[in-house]
Amino acid sequence: MIKSTRRDFLKYSAAAGAALGTAGLSNLALADEVLKVGAVYVSPISEIGWTKQHSLGVDAIKAAMGNKVEVTTIDSIFKPQDAERVFREMASNGNKLIFGTSFSHGTPMQKVAPRFPKVAFEHCSGIRHMKNLGTFEAKYFEGTYVAGVAAGHMSKSAKIGFIGGFPIPDIVGPANALLLGAQSVNPDMTCSVIFLNSWFDPGKEKEAANTLISQGCDIICSMTDTATGVQVAGEKGAWSIGYASDMAKFGNGKHLTAFTLDWSSVYVSAAKAVAAGTWKTSERWQGLADGVVTMSPLNSALPADAVAQVTKAQKDIVAGTLHPFAGEIKDQAGKVRAAAGATLSTGDIRGINWFVNGVVGKLG
Amino acid sequence: MDLFTAIFTGTIIAATPLIFAALGELVVEKSGVLNLGIEGMMLVGAAVGVWVSYVGLPLPLAILCAAVAGALASLVFGVLALTFLTNQYAAGLALAIFGTGVSAYIGKGFGSTPIDALKPLVIPFLTDIPVLGPLLFNYDPLVYLSFILFGLISWFLYKTKAGLIVRTIGESPDAAHAIGYPVIKIRYLVVLFGGAMAGLGGAYLSIAYTPLWVENMTAGKGWISLALVVFAAWRPARVLFGAWLFGGMTILQLQGQALGLALPSEVLSSLPYIATIVVLVIISRNRQFLALNFPTSLAKPFRPAR
Repeated sequence: MIKSTRRDFLKYSAAAGAALGTAGLSNLALADEVLKVGAVYVSPISEIGWTKQHSLGVDAIKAAMGNKVEVTTIDSIFKPQDAERVFREMASNGNKLIFGTSFSHGTPMQKVAPRFPKVAFEHCSGIRHMKNLGTFEAKYFEGTYVAGVAAGHMSKSAKIGFIGGFPIPDIVGPANALLLGAQSVNPDMTCSVIFLNSWFDPGKEKEAANTLISQGCDIICSMTDTATGVQVAGEKGAWSIGYASDMAKFGNGKHLTAFTLDWSSVYVSAAKAVAAGTWKTSERWQGLADGVVTMSPLNSALPADAVAQVTKAQKDIVAGTLHPFAGEIKDQAGKVRAAAGATLSTGDIRGINWFVNGVVGKLG
Repeated sequence: MDLFTAIFTGTIIAATPLIFAALGELVVEKSGVLNLGIEGMMLVGAAVGVWVSYVGLPLPLAILCAAVAGALASLVFGVLALTFLTNQYAAGLALAIFGTGVSAYIGKGFGSTPIDALKPLVIPFLTDIPVLGPLLFNYDPLVYLSFILFGLISWFLYKTKAGLIVRTIGESPDAAHAIGYPVIKIRYLVVLFGGAMAGLGGAYLSIAYTPLWVENMTAGKGWISLALVVFAAWRPARVLFGAWLFGGMTILQLQGQALGLALPSEVLSSLPYIATIVVLVIISRNRQFLALNFPTSLAKPFRPAR
């Protein structure tokens, strides 16, 4: 019979700690070793949507680095208290690069990162940096602007319906840009906005889409984690704009385009940098030009002049000659937020908490 | 479709899953059993419904399977609470969590894949009546089924001997046992019925409402149904009214948001909950009425004396 005393326990754990310590050091010494990468997802990896696009980024690391990399992923981690445990476990298990993919992973990552100074942390949609915690985010608004140009051409009622998860800058900005894109074609366009106050409630999203359509909107764009908005629009004969993934197969032929997210360049470059020992914390905010935001194929129902204008808007944004938030921009109250010739600053866009003129909806 | 028709039909449709689940739970609670696991049973029903139709079987069969799956899920609760006499609150909560996990597992292969939706039933002549046709006769079969079931349940509980027995068991299982009724067996049947109704509610969401499976797609509707039963003072007609009120407020707050009502979306989003609670509390102020309808032995484990 094995008797275990407290003293024994302390002895063993000290020995184990020492063993772990040496193991950790030897890992660092061997540059040729397999790189362990961890990723934490906020929702299940379904066929489309936010988490799916992140899992494609992880797949890209595997494709680029082959047997030089070993990947661990954990999905459906939303609550900060769960996330903290998962991040700590991943870091203790020898992962040298760890991705957090939701805003809610921020606080746990900021807590765990300082304890593992040798581990690189990358946080998507994060705002706070540390020595070993970098952030990356996409310029969704560039995608919605381009989609808005298509919407401006195809809308008969001149009314867009926009469904957002939460009234946060990352949703408010794209809603504004969608309308600005549409107004570049037809200045009379308006955009009705509904917030679900949930990322994930297909039932409510359907009701919201029906509501918008019943009020005369004939373009539906939904920034949530489901394809319900696209599906309802297809049923009711309204055009739809997909988000995160190409949602054409849900749209019943009425899917105009989607602004999709492709994180693979971010994932692969981070993994390669860590493997080469050159990784440094950085803040990335990338859009169409970097390929992080991409436009899915346009609906074939778009007339040639519309296609030309949409493509031109996309090219100009990539070239930097067109900025979605270039003045003159007025808010709902008619106050000038960006004068003619000026553009909104990065800080203004990232913290945007007002609607442009023509949006029907209210922010708290 | 004009605005009024949109709001009216939207309300009826939004209320349907709540009506199924809440009416089932009402019968269960009338027999003195409190099953908190509606959310889990709805999710299992929703996942199984989509699965059956995904493999190519017809929709009526998918709906039937969803009901059976809901009933099977409720059996987990039944065995724990009725046979092993565990705490009903704990067993119900366990079922809610268990159902969420199991449904996610069932749905692994076909998440977010759209299926053919249940189509509205076109009734000759009736659907074509101007104004009234689109308002009353343009729903899918499950909506009509929810009304039929409402009628049947009200009739069963208050007009039949079997309904009287169920209610008696909810008041005093000892008395019912003493005069020879198999209390545990009857409670099992009622729990299975409640599970089947929750499964139907789930299937309505995943087959008719948003025809696809996504994890956790009920988004709290099971808990709302549970609250409806209590606030409706265990009366079927009030459950119906409460579900419409809740559905109607949900649709109205969305319409309000889209019209640019000068209220923040967070406030508007909470309106359905506030309105439903306030109205149902007001109509249930009558203490005598509450005492008359409250199943006295609710959530109390019953062990037949030997």
